[in-house]
Amino acid sequence: MVECQLCYMYGYHMHQRLQSLLFCLTALKFTDKHEWIRVEDNGTGTVGISNFAQEALGDVVYCGLPEVGTQLAQQDEFGALESVKAASELYSPLTGEVVEVNTLLADNPGLVNKSCYKDGWLMKMTIAKPAELDSLMDEAAYERYIHSIED
Amino acid sequence: IDWDCYIYHCWSIFCLVSIPLFPGLVLQSQSTDVFQNLALEDWIDAHVDLQQRSILLLWRNRPTVVIGRHQNPWAECNLPAMRSAQVPVARRRSGGGTVYHDLGNLNLTFFASKKAYDRRRNLKVVTDALRRVRPQLDIQATDRLDILLNGRYKISGTASRLSRKSSYHHCTLLHSADRSAIAVLLRPSCPGIRSNATPSIPSPVTNLTDHAPSLQWEELLEAVVQQYSSGCVDPADEALFPGVGSMEAELRGWQWTFGKTPKFSVETQLELRDERPAARCSAQLQLEVKNGRVESCRVEVPATWLPERLSASLAQALLGERFCPHRAAAALSALLRCESGPLHSRLRNLCDVLVAAMG
Repeated sequence: MVECQLCYMYGYHMHQRLQSLLFCLTALKFTDKHEWIRVEDNGTGTVGISNFAQEALGDVVYCGLPEVGTQLAQQDEFGALESVKAASELYSPLTGEVVEVNTLLADNPGLVNKSCYKDGWLMKMTIAKPAELDSLMDEAAYERYIHSIED
Repeated sequence: IDWDCYIYHCWSIFCLVSIPLFPGLVLQSQSTDVFQNLALEDWIDAHVDLQQRSILLLWRNRPTVVIGRHQNPWAECNLPAMRSAQVPVARRRSGGGTVYHDLGNLNLTFFASKKAYDRRRNLKVVTDALRRVRPQLDIQATDRLDILLNGRYKISGTASRLSRKSSYHHCTLLHSADRSAIAVLLRPSCPGIRSNATPSIPSPVTNLTDHAPSLQWEELLEAVVQQYSSGCVDPADEALFPGVGSMEAELRGWQWTFGKTPKFSVETQLELRDERPAARCSAQLQLEVKNGRVESCRVEVPATWLPERLSASLAQALLGERFCPHRAAAALSALLRCESGPLHSRLRNLCDVLVAAMG
């Protein structure tokens, strides 16, 4: 149960709804390699690839993901997605440790295409250096970035 | 990247076969060890700035089985048979399926920036090269980016890798590989394997030399290198070569081609004749040509044949004109139009002969 930052009440109320709405909208951060990371309530980061990336990749046929416990520095290669187009490397948005990997992708790699922000998440990791989040793009900045590379 | 340093470090495992051609470079590995060659691919991908130039690497390996990034070697190949034949297995970093390499198989790796990543264009280099050296062969690239011969037999398969800023696309090309080895070695090692590793798609294969027995290995390499190098640069591309268009225009122009000629003179005899009555005579032509144009001109025709005023005005008409039969003809036709009467045909004849003397 999260304490509302606006009125210090607990329990479901108007501010709570507003906060979680705001939280959702501001939660995704993006790298220039088209990975996203979402900071969860428990402080871990969920990592996936953006819609732009999954469209560019084409149908994913295999997700090569790291072992739980793997230590990653920001921008380290942490795996690869294989599609008909190529094997594309994945780069860690932050420094941290892999705590969970999306096992659904083993039998259903197409989830990455169908639901890249939700069911097609790739892995979860600890956030060892929260300041690194500032180096990532928010959604608006990422949209501008995509438009600039599309031209 | 420090190009000189790069060349020095790498020369022990490869040698240059072609003069570096901006923006494409062709390299050929002198190693037939699959691990060295795969390492070279990764090294180039990681260390060479491919934003400005692309690279084609040609290589071949001693007998090896190469599996794709996410494949299961026990499912893809017969490891016990390979052990006794001393054929190693290697996992490459690109995706795709399993292939058998030996010295009769040519590997081509096209390195480029991610922006310039274009597997179809790369395969076109191969198919165009093959069609050029053996136009009778039916060669076609498919949607899956295989290359088929006669619409049925696979002679090439493709795989690729996208990394931080760059990409590589490599493909095989069966020139004269041992097909019996392929049949024996590309089978599962043991029964009952259940796996979600990426599977290979088996296809019937053939060698180029089964259909074009005279095609030599060196001939194939040269064809591909030439096609890649020739396809690489478009001299009309102003984006790559700003100002090249005006350089071309200058070279193409009369001023450079003819106008740059050092001063020269022409001294020759002209044979004149008349039809009615039949008569002949000789005249002397003397010309000085400077900057491709007639600077001075003397036409000495016997006065009995043609009045001096006419031959003089003819010579005058040519002054300053390009030393060129078309320009001369144009200049002289104006003169011809002015003159009618009995001398016209002789004047006409003199003009024709003069024009013919102008090359």
